[in-house]
Amino acid sequence: MLLSELFRTATFRLTLAVVAAMIGTAALQFSLGYSQTKTFEFRRSDALLHREADLLSHENAQDLEHKIRERATDDLRVVINEAGLFDMAHRYVAGDLRVWPDGLIADGRVRELTVWPTEDAPYVLRILAIPVEGGRILVLARGLHMLDEWRLMMRHSLLVSIVPTVLFALMTGIVLSHRALARVTVMHEAIDRIMEGDLHERLPSGRGRDEMQRLAGSVNRMLDRLEHLMDEIRDVGNDIAHDLRTPLARVRARLDRALGDRALGDALSADDLRSVVGRAIDDLDQCFSIITALLRIGEIENARRRVGFAVVDLNEIAADIVDLYEPIAEAKQIRLDLLPSTGPVPVYGDRDLLIEVLANLIDNAIKFTDPGGEVTLGMVRQGDGARLEVADTGIGIIPEERQAVLNRFYRSDKSRHVPGSGLGLSLVSAILRLHNASLTISETRKQDARPGALFGVVFPPSPPTVSASA
Amino acid sequence: MSVRTMNASSRSDQDIAGKEPGGREPSGRDTGGKASRPRVLLVEDDGKIAQEVAEELESRGFRVRHAATGPEGLSIGVTGGFDVMIVDRMLPELDGLTLIETLRGRQVATPVLVLSALSAVDDRVSGLKAGGDDYLTKPFAMEELAARLEALMRRPNNTRETMLRVGPLAMDLIERTVTRDGTEIDLLPREFRLLEYLMRRPNQVLTRNMLLEDVWNYRFIPQTNLVDVHIGKLRRKIDEAGGPPLIQSIRGTGFMLRAPE
Repeated sequence: MLLSELFRTATFRLTLAVVAAMIGTAALQFSLGYSQTKTFEFRRSDALLHREADLLSHENAQDLEHKIRERATDDLRVVINEAGLFDMAHRYVAGDLRVWPDGLIADGRVRELTVWPTEDAPYVLRILAIPVEGGRILVLARGLHMLDEWRLMMRHSLLVSIVPTVLFALMTGIVLSHRALARVTVMHEAIDRIMEGDLHERLPSGRGRDEMQRLAGSVNRMLDRLEHLMDEIRDVGNDIAHDLRTPLARVRARLDRALGDRALGDALSADDLRSVVGRAIDDLDQCFSIITALLRIGEIENARRRVGFAVVDLNEIAADIVDLYEPIAEAKQIRLDLLPSTGPVPVYGDRDLLIEVLANLIDNAIKFTDPGGEVTLGMVRQGDGARLEVADTGIGIIPEERQAVLNRFYRSDKSRHVPGSGLGLSLVSAILRLHNASLTISETRKQDARPGALFGVVFPPSPPTVSASA
Repeated sequence: MSVRTMNASSRSDQDIAGKEPGGREPSGRDTGGKASRPRVLLVEDDGKIAQEVAEELESRGFRVRHAATGPEGLSIGVTGGFDVMIVDRMLPELDGLTLIETLRGRQVATPVLVLSALSAVDDRVSGLKAGGDDYLTKPFAMEELAARLEALMRRPNNTRETMLRVGPLAMDLIERTVTRDGTEIDLLPREFRLLEYLMRRPNQVLTRNMLLEDVWNYRFIPQTNLVDVHIGKLRRKIDEAGGPPLIQSIRGTGFMLRAPE
């Protein structure tokens, strides 16, 4: 594992951010502490200077001068670092402060001044000057060396503590990044295996619930779904092959038989030959109908545009469809009823495609209903949308199969003997998806003997801009 | 089960009709003695399909002239002299629809059948808008193509006359009654509509898709033999028991209303 790779990991970057935050926090803490301490120290110095100046100002001139001279050896030196006595013209009289500092005014207020002694480095003093008896000025000063010491100490301890902390954080970051990188590498390898075609491979998701494992879990669920879809596609392929193979095998057998008979010298009559060819064409037509329906489904599923869409009246379409299918129902002795709604039932859709939906649903209902049964078509406005129902009294669809019948080629075992491409309902569901309409299957339960199937379609409200754009 | 039965019944009818090779010879529009065989201009870039179509149409008695590109089709098309044109929608250099529009702009009124690999509704509509007279989606059966060409070449009998007559049948378009040899036949409105369509196109092969599209205005391929059932019901009403059927089934193609000789 390359070090540069390690440094690029999100974990390591996070560590760097944490380290920066730590340093920042420490610096902030230090500067806040320093400014607090400084304020406190100033206030204390100023109070001390005032108190001392107050005491000294009550002495008479001689005593004061004496005290200032003595002060150099006094204990007071610890508190008042420097003192001096000057005359009104700021000339030195006594004390260890020998030069009147620049900018000092004898007004009884503490000032912060930098003094520049000739032989030493400049230093900062809190300094107070007050006029006293005998036309003199008393100057008292306190240095800030305590504060400087404190600052030095704090800075030192800060450095001592921050360096190992930062190093420790960086080490932790490297270790954690290494672990994260190792887990990602394992996932990469798993993904590579999947991409090479091993669809059963899954990412290691572990038992924990951290974010990586949750992500791995999500990816695994996605892979499950994809694998399922792939299986479905494979199944569809197999189904197509099977459904095409059956009629094609029949064609081949018929033609083969016709040819074989002739080879035996037993020539078929023109009529027999014609009937063999006719049946072969029927079987080929069935193959064509399957292929046409498949292409149609593909075309509808790929249709992103809704060019042919307009507001159409379901009631009108239904009346036409019933007119078209009535003779078929009649021939099977099935009653085909239209329950007309009280007014128009407008939906937003493609007229030709909606006709196809209704035709397929009615066709399907008639196919799976026994003679003597009935098929009912009804529709109502539902809010701004519409609901359409096709009910029959046929064999019905058991709940477990209700989703499956919408899949391509699904044929319930009960319906194996019924002719058809097996694609009618897939076509219906593809068209309804394009219309954002939902299809539900339940049972009619009109007659006790047969459950019957009830196909309910709910159309969404038509968009309000329709009439303007149409 | 009864679906099967219906198929069987229609099959027997078809078998009867199949014995006579009906509708094999295109009668064509009256070409004024110039040529007895109708002339077709086929503009199609796919060589394989073009060859197949040309051979099939030649065998059916058409004379086919083939153009492989749009500009070629245009230059041949404007010379006129064709009874019908087949134009593929997608052509190199010059799109099929533009070709038709250009021809129409130059006063070429020859009927055009548009061929397309696309069947979306808007494609059909735009094809017809551009001046095409009919629209056929690939893949198609040759019988379908031939029947539609036939239909394009013959104008349906849309006369102002209020009586249509084919053989023993007479249809009064105002009274909306139908008689056979003077005996009135009771027809449902949908049966009347279907018979009217047939009577306006006597002796002409009409495919199931043509009937669905033109009589019912539907553009889908039904799972059941819808058209056969409707024709069957109509036959039972207009045919004499034991007599030859007026509506004949054309094997693998469709139906034809033919007056008995």
